[in-house]
Amino acid sequence: MRMLRNLARRRLRTGLTITGITIGIWALVVFSSMANKVDALVSGGSDYYAGKIVVSDGGFGGIGGQPMRLAQLDELSAIDGVDVIVPAVTMIAGDIQGVSFGPPDQVYGTPFGADQGRETYVPQLAQGRSLTAADEGGDVAVLGTSIAAKRGVAVGGTITLQDRTFEVVGILEPTLSTPDVTIAVPFTTAQQLVHADLPSVVREQVVADELATSFIVFPAAGADHEALAESIETQFPGVTALTGDGYDASVGSSVAMFNSIIVGIGLVSLIVGGLSVINTMAMSVAERTREIGVKRAIGATRRRIIRELMLEAGVIGSIGGLLGVALGALVVVLVNEAGRSSGTVLFELTTNTAVFALVFSTILGVIAGIVPAWSAARLDPVAALRYE
Amino acid sequence: MTILEARDLRKTYRLSKSNTVEALRGVGVTIDEGEMVAIMGPSGSGKSTLMHVLGLLHKPDPNHGPAPELLFDGRSMTDLSDRERTKIRATEMGFVFQAFNLVPTMSAIENVALAAEYAGTGRSKARNAAIESLELVGLADRAGHRPSELSGGEQQRVAIARALVNRPRLVIGDEPTGNLDSARSADVLRLLRRLNRDHGQTFVIVTHDPEVGATCDRTIRMRDGQVVSDGRRTTDVAA
Repeated sequence: MRMLRNLARRRLRTGLTITGITIGIWALVVFSSMANKVDALVSGGSDYYAGKIVVSDGGFGGIGGQPMRLAQLDELSAIDGVDVIVPAVTMIAGDIQGVSFGPPDQVYGTPFGADQGRETYVPQLAQGRSLTAADEGGDVAVLGTSIAAKRGVAVGGTITLQDRTFEVVGILEPTLSTPDVTIAVPFTTAQQLVHADLPSVVREQVVADELATSFIVFPAAGADHEALAESIETQFPGVTALTGDGYDASVGSSVAMFNSIIVGIGLVSLIVGGLSVINTMAMSVAERTREIGVKRAIGATRRRIIRELMLEAGVIGSIGGLLGVALGALVVVLVNEAGRSSGTVLFELTTNTAVFALVFSTILGVIAGIVPAWSAARLDPVAALRYE
Repeated sequence: MTILEARDLRKTYRLSKSNTVEALRGVGVTIDEGEMVAIMGPSGSGKSTLMHVLGLLHKPDPNHGPAPELLFDGRSMTDLSDRERTKIRATEMGFVFQAFNLVPTMSAIENVALAAEYAGTGRSKARNAAIESLELVGLADRAGHRPSELSGGEQQRVAIARALVNRPRLVIGDEPTGNLDSARSADVLRLLRRLNRDHGQTFVIVTHDPEVGATCDRTIRMRDGQVVSDGRRTTDVAA
């Protein structure tokens, strides 16, 4: 209470300092939330690619590449080190408008059970059921959480793809990654959708049920994934084989850049906020020189003076931090709400981020208070008493 | 019984490279418990410096002339650390300043309680002690007021309450009436005198004010860093 009254003595100055810290922490919170979202996307991808090799003809992970022939499956399985191969069909859901942050909306299909239990990346169902072998050829779909939200459908509802109506049988739990924007349909249905989507010149040369856009290769135990990917690429010119490590390496650099931006923002707010706390506290020590002299004279130890002032600086820091986190959270919620209808969820504010920002700003304040507090404690009480 | 005994106190202040001031040039004083002593003298006579040394705010110079000695309650004060001196100031001494020097953001009772907290008293006990102390100076009804809401005389009484809250054996006053008009000044003096008589506390008061000197039991006069006279009131009047 006494401390707050001291802070309230110079409302404008304290207010400006707190504002400075608030802005810094606000920026830290907003950008960290963005980084959290990116990290979630990337780690989702990383989890998906772990332990497998995705073989596609150009594009990234089978999206946007040329169609492959299902017959290539047999040629691939002849390669040494290949254990299980799953054909997959992926296409961008072209009728869904809007630019989105992260992966585009997509349709995905793979034969039920073809992975022979090797697939470890299995998103959990929020409601309904998953696709089964019995669904093959049927117009049913399991939706990612973002797609379901965007289209406003629940289990039992319907969605339309290429003028075909699909019954929604299941909706997945949020993963913050690709499955959120994926419409999973039976494999043969996906083949038909991709086939219909092909340019007419290409379409005439291929049959729908011979199509695949990628193959998911589960290497045999002990096989060297990188070497296997390399030999696949050598034997099938023009084909891309992406391993888990390959995925991590290709996205890692962009994530590193993003994270360094966050660190940069943190540093800037550290310097600006820290300096303004030092400035405020130094001025308030100068103003209170006599008061500090009196306190020392009547028996306050140096340690007590230091503690009082550092605590005060810490309170400035933590108030700034609280406001910054609150404003940051507000922006995150508002922007996410505004973007939800178009499927653009930009931010992910985690408890860790909020707690870190608060602790960071408090410690920043306390550390910035050290120098002014120390100089106050070193004052000669007699000289301080005479100070005008 | 002697409460303060000082011998060969010297203090030189270096104001710049070529300008030093010998504020104390070998001062010796002895003050008995329960005495009310005025230290008087013209500006620059060294009376404030003497008060700062006796009040453990400054140390006497150790290294020119005979070694200084300062005994408070029989204990030597010359070699104590800052922390030890601070503790003695907090627990066994009280200070009253010319400019009152209350903390402006705190109410009267908080100002008084602060001194008790510095002496190691817990918050609620410090508050009770502060109320008692304010009663002693007749200001218990103003306990919740901030210094800016009090008159100069009231502020000085709060400062006196603060000096007394730990029941110190020695109270040091630096021109305690210097900022007050003569009526308020007389009030404060009467209060100090009464506290001295009722509680047997020792008062050492640095002052310009002849009224203060006349109220005290004894006046030590200083000039040019030395004690020029030291006597009971009767002899003092003649001087």
